[in-house]
Amino acid sequence: MSLEKKDDFDHDAWLKRKDLTPVETAFLTTLIWLDKRLRIVDYLELLETMYYRVNLQMPKSHTEQYDLDNKFWYWYPLYSLGSLSIIAYLVAAVSGALLGFYYSPSTAGAAAAGDPTAAWISVESIMKDVQFGLMLRGVHRWAAQFMVAAVFLHMLRVYFTGAYKEPREVNWVLGIVLIGLTLLFGYTGYLLPWYQLSFWAGQIGVEMALATPLVGEWAAQLVFGGFTLGQATLVRMYILHVFLLPFVVTALIALHVGIVWVQGIAEPH
Amino acid sequence: MTESDDTTEIRTDGGTGIVPPDDETPDWTERKERSRGLSRLTYEYFERSRREDQDLRQESDYVERDVLGFPTWPHETIRNLAITSFFVGIIILVAAALPPEFMDPANPNSTPAIILPDWYLYWSFGLLKLNPINPELAVLGGEKVLSDQFYGVAAHGVIFGILALVPFLNKGSARRPVEQPFWSAVGVAGVVLSFTLAALAIQNFFPFELKLLLTLTFTLPIVAAILTYAVLKTMREGYMYDLNKRYYRLRPPK
Repeated sequence: MSLEKKDDFDHDAWLKRKDLTPVETAFLTTLIWLDKRLRIVDYLELLETMYYRVNLQMPKSHTEQYDLDNKFWYWYPLYSLGSLSIIAYLVAAVSGALLGFYYSPSTAGAAAAGDPTAAWISVESIMKDVQFGLMLRGVHRWAAQFMVAAVFLHMLRVYFTGAYKEPREVNWVLGIVLIGLTLLFGYTGYLLPWYQLSFWAGQIGVEMALATPLVGEWAAQLVFGGFTLGQATLVRMYILHVFLLPFVVTALIALHVGIVWVQGIAEPH
Repeated sequence: MTESDDTTEIRTDGGTGIVPPDDETPDWTERKERSRGLSRLTYEYFERSRREDQDLRQESDYVERDVLGFPTWPHETIRNLAITSFFVGIIILVAAALPPEFMDPANPNSTPAIILPDWYLYWSFGLLKLNPINPELAVLGGEKVLSDQFYGVAAHGVIFGILALVPFLNKGSARRPVEQPFWSAVGVAGVVLSFTLAALAIQNFFPFELKLLLTLTFTLPIVAAILTYAVLKTMREGYMYDLNKRYYRLRPPK
């Protein structure tokens, strides 16, 4: 028994069998040598695919294959809610980065309770002095609202079309984590201007944390920087909103979409 | 390549040699197979190479499927661009029409008359106002197991927990709401509950007693669920009837 390949893919034996002219042998040897290293055959397949594209020989889409065209087209906008929330997220990210140039997360400057703080003044100057500042804050705020709305509706769509079933449980759970983080994004966001609503929303947050047994005080220290609201709270909310959550949420969105990519879209049959 | 009598024929196609394709026109594959010389050899080698790949793929446990869908360019790209610009345009339009509000600076000494979060947290705020239904257990001598405040916080855990459990409870291949009336009813109850909890959060807005509002908060979702279940069950009858009709049209009963 020799170690030489004797199977169907023994190209040398095949070459010998063919009884070729020297030119042909040289050509084929070169071709095989190159193909072994560069897989030219794959590129040939690409060419072939392009040929079929040009000739409009399209593979059938899911809807065509199962003849769902006339039944489901009116549901399709609901299938774009996931990407709409990502688009809103991107709009909020861009406008938020621009807002970050002008915002200062500081409660300094308030001599007495109820005086304007540095954070409040910076938001006010964004709205009054900065070119397009009012527009920028409006876009940021509304992008956030649209994102939350899209995320909620996306969850409803997934629920009512049963898209969370068997192979997709992990992605559903991941989606719930993402909804929670989106709400946290909104919450930390509307604490930042440090106006009345911000302060009292923060107060409710602290009270919720303190009501929790065992971990409550620790959580209040960690998230709100103490049991009363102040500079520490604002900075923590700021870091959560512009540093921690963006990284975590972006990574989880990528994972979420990646899993959809791998598993395919669950369309109703 | 071409036979000699082709050239002597009178050409009626303007001499371009371009003829519209019909069934007898050899397609690309056939042309490849008929060709000779080096191109023929290339073709043969690539066929072998491809078969080799195919065999290797079949040996491996990698699952290969056909990709069914529209091509990325231009279909998907143009559609996505259109949707994106429309959506971003709407955001900008709404932002221009409804500028963001701005309030007085934070003042720890004056509690505002109305404290409300953004609309998407109304349901959560409603959960915090559930303390009237925090049960007082007789076993503990009328004491409450959970403090009123923690009761609302724990309710959040319950909501998220139930949501996370859904795919592990609802199995099967049913996809449309008509195919699963029960779970659709549960979903509708959840949606209505989120609205009634939001109503509970803004309770001052409603001109009737808190007790009635609390009752409605939990009865309305149940009513909605029952209605949904009834409607979907009825619809399912028609749906199954339709399926059966189609089935028996194909295979008439003897």
